[in-house]
Amino acid sequence: MPTPLYTPRVNNNDDYVKLINLAASEGDYVKAGQVVASVETDKAIVDVEVEQDGYVLKVLAELDDVIAVGSVLLWVGATMDETVPDLKVEPTVASQHNGDFKQPTARARILLRKYGVEASQIPTMGERLTAEDVMAWASKRELADHSGENLKVEKKVERRPIAEGKPVEFTSEEHGMQNAVAWQRDHAATGYIEFAYDPKPLDDWALAFQNENKLLFNPLLSLMLWRLAQMAEENPKLNSTIYQDKFYQYDRVNTGFTVQAGETLYVAVLRDAGKLDALEFVNRMTDLQRRAMVKKLKPTELEGATISFSSMARWNVTRHVPILSPATSLMVAHAATINDQAVIGATYDHRVLSGFDVAMVLRQLVLAPETKQ
Amino acid sequence: MDKAEIISAVKKQVIVIAKQLGMDASGLNADDIIPATGLLDSAGLMQLIAWYEDFYQIPLSQEEINIDNLGTLDAMASFVLKRKGL
Repeated sequence: MPTPLYTPRVNNNDDYVKLINLAASEGDYVKAGQVVASVETDKAIVDVEVEQDGYVLKVLAELDDVIAVGSVLLWVGATMDETVPDLKVEPTVASQHNGDFKQPTARARILLRKYGVEASQIPTMGERLTAEDVMAWASKRELADHSGENLKVEKKVERRPIAEGKPVEFTSEEHGMQNAVAWQRDHAATGYIEFAYDPKPLDDWALAFQNENKLLFNPLLSLMLWRLAQMAEENPKLNSTIYQDKFYQYDRVNTGFTVQAGETLYVAVLRDAGKLDALEFVNRMTDLQRRAMVKKLKPTELEGATISFSSMARWNVTRHVPILSPATSLMVAHAATINDQAVIGATYDHRVLSGFDVAMVLRQLVLAPETKQ
Repeated sequence: MDKAEIISAVKKQVIVIAKQLGMDASGLNADDIIPATGLLDSAGLMQLIAWYEDFYQIPLSQEEINIDNLGTLDAMASFVLKRKGL
């Protein structure tokens, strides 16, 4: 029986991806693990591998098509004689945009299902039908969802700006940023602390580490993040958030690190980082950052941070107050050295950590290992 | 493709990235150790290496990314020629 190869999700915000590479044709024999296609969003590129040996029986998309996540990309069979099921091909964004119908976002689709309405019933001014469109429409009609409960829509009234202007849609990256920063706004009780320190001992340590290991890149920031991961590994409170009125302690330490690649700001995530030794951590970070620069991160490397680190030193920023990554309680802020003095700071979720907790972390973070107390 | 041509192309790229950081790399010599010049920070160096891999179509392994292979303009040019078998 033929096996479908599905279009993978690249990130949480994009329900459609563009097919940018198609390396298999009908009749080709492919082997498990072979890359047969690549898909991309604005944020990342993902290679698509077949899961078993066999013949490509049918390819359902063409190069440059914009295709739905989860739709069948191609069929693979053990022999060429197998019959491909006659499934309806998922429509592309392009074909749906030919009419008045606007493609709903993932959140909008959930709400459409909940209220039992079609996307075509709801007007929208944007290029896509958003959850806000659905909620506004449903609110006016006091709709009930399928479970029979009355719909309770709590939407803050937003005052229209007074000065003249026009709405401009978010890109998928900007939309992702909106979601990321909204977590802090909606859930965390944030505080921020900082203190000045002499960066020289730490710089010397990083330089010695670089020379000892013949590294091309200065490992200072990676080493600081590694030490943060070590602290989080030892102290689960740092590696926690709050979920449903309880502490939620993560099983592993996944470090998030902000990477600016062109116009795009990523939080690249290194998973299970608390178990790595310093050199392994630095090498893995280098690899992660290099791939972030060319938008080659995997979806799992763009989400799931449990503790984070941000530096704006390269832009000579001397102080910044970062926004917490979703469902984390600590984001360290590293800044530039001016007149032999630097500032280390952190945004933290006061529901989980106290200023004292964070001060102790920062203090340990900027001490060179020889003087660690 | 000869060594001087590669050195010139890589230097141009260093100048572009350094400019983004407010630095002037026009005086960079072929045997200057780039990380030690302070013209590029780690992220800038990564930008350079990402460009280098892509421009010369030489995917680098983690082991190849070191000072010996990529520390100077001269070394980067030699490494391209070596990898291309030229």
